[in-house]
Amino acid sequence: MREFLGLGPAPDAAAAKRGAPIYAANCAFCHGPLARGAEGPSLIYSELVLEDQHGSVIAQFLQAGRPEKGMPAFATLSEEQRRDIAEFLRQQIEDVANRGTFQVKNIVLGDPNKGERYVAGHCLGCHSLAGDLRGLGHKWRPIDLQRYWIMPPRMGAGRAITATVRAPQGTWQGRVQQIDDFRIELAQDSGERVVIERDARVAVELHDPLAAHVEMIGKLADSDMINVTAYLERLE
Amino acid sequence: MNGCRLMWQVISLGVLLASARASELDMTTLGRPPTTSWPTFNGDYSGERFSSLQQINDSNVASLQLQWSYRITEVGAQRGAPVPVIKSTPLLVNGTLYFTIPNNVYAVDARTGTKLWTYSWADQGGHLVGNRGLGMYKSWLYFLGPDDWVICVDSNTGKERWRKQIADARLQYFTTTAPLVIKNHVLVGVGGDAMDVRGFLVSLDPDEGEMQWKWWSTPGAGEAGIETWPSVDAALHGGGGTWQPGTYDPELNLIYWGTGNTNPVFAGQGRKGANLYTTSIVALDPDSGKLVWHFQVSPHDTHDWDNTEMPVLIDANIDGKPRKLLAQAARNGWFVVLDRTNGKALISTPYVKLNWAKGVDKRGQPIPDPAKEPKLAGSVTITSATNWMSPSYSPATGLFYVNAAEGFAIYYLLDTDPKPSGYGGTVSGLGTSTRILRALDIKTGKPRWQHEYPNLNGAPANVGPGLLSTAGNLVFTGDDQGNLLAFSADQGKVLWHFRAGAAQSNGPVTYMQDGRQWVVLAAGDTLYAYTLAPAALAAAHIRVDREGP
Repeated sequence: MREFLGLGPAPDAAAAKRGAPIYAANCAFCHGPLARGAEGPSLIYSELVLEDQHGSVIAQFLQAGRPEKGMPAFATLSEEQRRDIAEFLRQQIEDVANRGTFQVKNIVLGDPNKGERYVAGHCLGCHSLAGDLRGLGHKWRPIDLQRYWIMPPRMGAGRAITATVRAPQGTWQGRVQQIDDFRIELAQDSGERVVIERDARVAVELHDPLAAHVEMIGKLADSDMINVTAYLERLE
Repeated sequence: MNGCRLMWQVISLGVLLASARASELDMTTLGRPPTTSWPTFNGDYSGERFSSLQQINDSNVASLQLQWSYRITEVGAQRGAPVPVIKSTPLLVNGTLYFTIPNNVYAVDARTGTKLWTYSWADQGGHLVGNRGLGMYKSWLYFLGPDDWVICVDSNTGKERWRKQIADARLQYFTTTAPLVIKNHVLVGVGGDAMDVRGFLVSLDPDEGEMQWKWWSTPGAGEAGIETWPSVDAALHGGGGTWQPGTYDPELNLIYWGTGNTNPVFAGQGRKGANLYTTSIVALDPDSGKLVWHFQVSPHDTHDWDNTEMPVLIDANIDGKPRKLLAQAARNGWFVVLDRTNGKALISTPYVKLNWAKGVDKRGQPIPDPAKEPKLAGSVTITSATNWMSPSYSPATGLFYVNAAEGFAIYYLLDTDPKPSGYGGTVSGLGTSTRILRALDIKTGKPRWQHEYPNLNGAPANVGPGLLSTAGNLVFTGDDQGNLLAFSADQGKVLWHFRAGAAQSNGPVTYMQDGRQWVVLAAGDTLYAYTLAPAALAAAHIRVDREGP
């Protein structure tokens, strides 16, 4: 992801970590705790910080400051400390710009009791708490649990879209491997694969075992989603 | 005085001699309906991507024959992008096709598909997500490196003439667009939303690349629109990329541009308000860059819904009166038809099923439901309903064609800081989305026909099929699975298909050359060129002769 984004050299995470308390003690008051600006400007977009390579610009800049603009000198800090501050700043930019490293926070914020009622009313016609829903909360991270209970991944034969194809030459049934306007490929129960060229004489009837889930996506209220996830996450 | 005139004559003679030696774009063809050339991204300035040609038509398209194909073999995987994909619309000028992928320009003989020259750029950053093509002025081509360089290349030799950098790639500005040439302006937009940059459009002088004007997508202190931001600082980091070409009405002398998503992308808490002029359609004076009117299709965007889809200029009768219109099918799923003289809405309605709008305001702009903004625990709404893939409008059918995608995703807020930065959120997909070709009646906004492409894998996010309509009652496009397609424009019947090596990936073009109508489409790393098979071609000529005066 870094490479695709063209982000340049990666910051030194250890130095950035050392720089964090030094930044907090000396800089955060004016530039904000995450360097996004307070009384002083944001340093996330700063030319000087972007120019910097492991302290090459910032270490010297901090030694002199910019007194005419109210930016004091930090000459009492050691060269290494100033370099660590520079690395901390580069890390802040990295955290903003490199979306490949984004981490989802705790998303389990719903009311499990309400979630339980929703599941009882909507899901148990097809699913069972003692059966396929058992231990769901341990199976996936919450972020995946939430997307997968809404729209399960099509893993396994039971979730595959199947088709009945009626053509002058005969009728075929099987799991759809590929379909477009001109051909359909089926995996039959016998294990054989068949490719049927589609034209006006070929009727294709699709069956989706997840049709109820597809139907649900467009209607699901965010509150129901969040509550059900909170409930399922607790399921032992 | 006489001396002056004499010098003029000498200079004109010099120009004539030069043009006899080397090919040059006849500048008077710019903005005309494209028949024997395709000299701009959209063919003409309207963005209709409609051709009046009808040698290839609904009665004979089934006999289209591949004349040549050109495959890019020497580039290989680019930084962060496994296989080169031709997303550019080729220019066709004087028998040469000019097209691009990131960092590379190709000139190919349009009769044979033989390479004439290539130009390569070594980037220092920027995203290699795609390159949409070139602009042309006389014998000069304008190409963008991904790292915000505008490069002027001689169309006869592929030699670089000059380069200008228009933005800082370290701030995550990047450039993928096809420059648009209007009069003596080379119009270039930028993209990039990872670090809260401020979008802009620049006009460069075609000769030397000097900047003529710069229009910022967000207002500065004291400027109109600043009231739609909580602070000047928020506006100056508010996004609004300009990364697709726009359209132009020479009579009104206005250019129309779509602006990109607002920044920070998914975290809107630090920028309460409508956030003008991001996610809008803007009308600008091409000579000064001054804003004339705006219409915000996605007010207070918090879903990365770049509004850079083509603002297509349409002249049509509405209630018996000739009107100057502008139509756009936007990434947020909304379809608008505006009066392009003033930006007033005639039609403003969804063209996909969606759940984020609470209606429209008195100007006809959709009102986003705050409940559908990204949240810590997630919020479900639609994925992008379309993107940069070219739409098309046919005056013959009165239909606006768009390859739409219907699907849903969960949008998460990640950055809860009062001053969020960058993306500030992320998107988690829910199953697959469905690609549907919709033919929208511009008088109602409702589809007259649609074609849902059967596909187990859904519509990919980064590649998608473009559209071209013709007076031969045809619409050319593709299906995300390697089939190049032609539909009947009036009814949406599939009349032709060709199995290509990859999914259709650019805006198809068509033109007459040597008495034959050509159709050229890209799929992945290959460009395919078709004409009618000889028997059908002979029949088409006979038919044309019979219909003649």
